[in-house]
Amino acid sequence: MDEVNLIIAGVGGQGSVLASHLVAMAAIEEGLRARVGETFGAAMRGGSVASHVRIGKNVSAPLVPEGGAEIVIALEPLEGLRNAVKYLAKGGLLLTNTRPLAPVDVNIGRAEYPSMQTIEEAVKKLGGKIIAIDATSLAQQAGNVRTVNVVMLGALAGIGKLPISLESLRCAIRENVPKGTEEVNLRAFELGLNAVREK
Amino acid sequence: MRIEDIIVEDSPGKRVLLMGNEAIARGAIEAGVGVAASYPGTPASEILETLALAAPKLGFHAEWSTNEKVAFEVAAGAALTGVRALTSMKNAGLNWVMDMFMTLVYGGVRGGFVIAVADDPSAHYSSNEQDTRFAAFYGEIPCLEPADQQEAKDMTRYAFELSEQLELPVMVRSVTRVSHASGDVELGPIAKIKRRPVFDKHWKLPYRWNVYGPPGPVEKHRWLHSRQPMAKKVVEKLPWNRLELRGKPKLGIIASGIGASYAREAVRRLGLNKKVAFLKIGTPTPLPERMVSRLLRAVKTVIVVEEGDPLVELQVRGLARDASPKLRVIGKMSGHLPQVGEINTDIVLRALAKVAGIRPREDRARERARAEVSKLVAPRSSTLCAGCPHLGSYWALKQALRKVGGKVPIINGDIGCYEQGGYGIFAKEVKPKDTAESVRYAIESPYETLDTNYIMGGGIGLLQGEFHAGYTDGAIVAVAGDSTFFHACIPAVINAVYNKAKGVFLVLDNSWTAMTGHQPHPGTGLTATGEPAKQLLIEDIARACGVEFLKVVDPFDLAATTAAIEEALKFGGFAMVIARRVCTLQALRQKKFIGKRMVVDPNKCTGCRLCVSFGCPGVLFKDGKGGIDPLICNGCGMCAQVCPTGAISVGE
Ligand SMILES: Cc1ncc(C[n+]2csc(CCOP(=O)(O)OP(=O)(O)O)c2C)c(N)n1
Repeated sequence: MDEVNLIIAGVGGQGSVLASHLVAMAAIEEGLRARVGETFGAAMRGGSVASHVRIGKNVSAPLVPEGGAEIVIALEPLEGLRNAVKYLAKGGLLLTNTRPLAPVDVNIGRAEYPSMQTIEEAVKKLGGKIIAIDATSLAQQAGNVRTVNVVMLGALAGIGKLPISLESLRCAIRENVPKGTEEVNLRAFELGLNAVREK
Repeated sequence: MRIEDIIVEDSPGKRVLLMGNEAIARGAIEAGVGVAASYPGTPASEILETLALAAPKLGFHAEWSTNEKVAFEVAAGAALTGVRALTSMKNAGLNWVMDMFMTLVYGGVRGGFVIAVADDPSAHYSSNEQDTRFAAFYGEIPCLEPADQQEAKDMTRYAFELSEQLELPVMVRSVTRVSHASGDVELGPIAKIKRRPVFDKHWKLPYRWNVYGPPGPVEKHRWLHSRQPMAKKVVEKLPWNRLELRGKPKLGIIASGIGASYAREAVRRLGLNKKVAFLKIGTPTPLPERMVSRLLRAVKTVIVVEEGDPLVELQVRGLARDASPKLRVIGKMSGHLPQVGEINTDIVLRALAKVAGIRPREDRARERARAEVSKLVAPRSSTLCAGCPHLGSYWALKQALRKVGGKVPIINGDIGCYEQGGYGIFAKEVKPKDTAESVRYAIESPYETLDTNYIMGGGIGLLQGEFHAGYTDGAIVAVAGDSTFFHACIPAVINAVYNKAKGVFLVLDNSWTAMTGHQPHPGTGLTATGEPAKQLLIEDIARACGVEFLKVVDPFDLAATTAAIEEALKFGGFAMVIARRVCTLQALRQKKFIGKRMVVDPNKCTGCRLCVSFGCPGVLFKDGKGGIDPLICNGCGMCAQVCPTGAISVGE
């Protein structure tokens, strides 16, 4: 494989940018090259956020081309669908958390939130596969809801398609999550990993 | 390793992940920068944020200045004394510095002076898409344009050297996709430069640092021109300008900055690697004209790929007239590439495929599926944060205007988180007949408040013109944030007092430059490196400016804030209300929040939806009743004050 293209999507404040950096740092550790194209909004919370991760021997542009993502990792299901529509490659995988965060547009009755079943059908229609896990509960189980991003990172590692060793990922986590949260995050990683391996 | 350690690590050859802005900062550190000054602005803020992490460790000066013009002058002052200096800003920031920019170049600099500007094609975080490379062209200084993070670092480091060689400021022009993207970067050595600042009034030129001093501005303009041949020669040899021309290709690509990254990938994906000539440009001005002309003579068609407006393309068209009059030049001006919005690999690939006569493979069925699925994707409009004090200020403003605002009040907005007061997410669809005349759209939520919004500090000036024009259909209000007040509002406030304007100026003071990522400013009481600083109060400044009506209120207290604004609206002159409450995200970070959540009593809730109109993302509405999302609510209590039936209260 020349390169691996991923998108990590979520809602502002969920930590998708950090998750994407962890993948890229681990890749560099393994001698690969990496690009992360970040689309983060302003400091405010709650907007759509997506990080494009490209790793391989020869990567240049920071954004994944349309229909070019092998895996879309979603910390929030609607954001998963939003990015899958545009970027998921044919035969690609949407790896998503099941816990929705309703946008204001839904709260004020301007839009409808698609059910998990609708999302599953939509992804199949796009010619993709879907794996859904309750990452929010796993993060709580790890000891902090805010580790949803690392649970999903563990799940991504569990898929076994990254050209990166588990050890490099664990090392990137240990060195880069906020000080004092290393243990919780490593627990979150293992929980995500096992959740996917069991599936 | 964390960024605060990486940035000062002196281990050449080490490969690390850096964001473009961190790479620019690292480049400046490797060059031995002595003074760095900036004002926050996305997507440029992390340049100074990163430098501020390193400054105390390496012993140089890094500051957030009150605005870009001041920052530019601070850095320029250092460069006059021979010390290496950098100023950084977003696209719009450069507009503030143009006076000094266009004049400083007449005398040039002694120490390397780098102007790092991050443009924002597609206006992800900006009110326009301006291409600041034209300012470098206009000011006759070199512009380096990185294609990726490695180049962002290396070019910035080199820019100091080039600046000293030419004795001119040098611009490094980034874009969102370089600044706010990360890549693997190989670190270089950190130069240990400690220069003693010198001041030599006649250094190489008489009255070097005084454009009015003899021989005067015209002669200094002549000196500036005399630098150009030298600059043109230098750029022909830079590693970032590179011509790959083998055999006899018909098609040539000229790609500048990030455009080169897109074009390379497009070439690879179309399998055109050995079939096209490729000229990668790192200096859109001055262009390596000899290299360009060589390519123009060798091919039949050339496609120019660049991010922003057609600066390179314009020059290429000019050069083609002499070098190869029959050549076909394709780019933004020919309509093959879009003239607005940012480009990307897909866009470049389509244009390139068309020119090369390749039909991209299409999957119609999949396209249809995508179109269908797209309809299921609910939008996610951005909102103010749960418990944001701006929500309270806007709610109070709405209440006060309803009472005493007249028929069609004008609310002039400004730049900051509170600009969302004009995003209109609750707005009703506007019909063509509504736009035919000046009608008032009822403010439902905070998001329909602002009627005008252009640039930082713009609203308070507009207010005065609206008043002096004789507008009487309603109240005239301007709204600005605290960082914006220090940046751009003070001369306008003085003007309002001096020229007897009437209106209400509402300052939303949350103690931080919040929208750009919570940088401190003169009202915060901290410097860029986190040291305590004298805290300036906006009311003290307003008083000194002669403002007679002045009230400071807490926006979490909706009744008191409404009363203060109402009084200000009734006041017969220029009135200021300062709504002060620290940004909720900062309060959370500093653990200064009550930590309780609001709850709704469904028996008391009548389903009137007033809490929904309040616009807080913590408020939900389900099955005809209001509710609170406990994961989002910060317990500010404002929604309880909004509820007419007392159904909302503080929970556990
Ligand atoms: C000339 C210029 N410089 C910088 C910016 C970037 N910018 C956007 S919002 C903002 C900060 C506003 O801070 P403040 O007025 O305190 O409002 P807050 O976001 O805290 O509500 C800045 C600096 C800009 N838009 N224009």
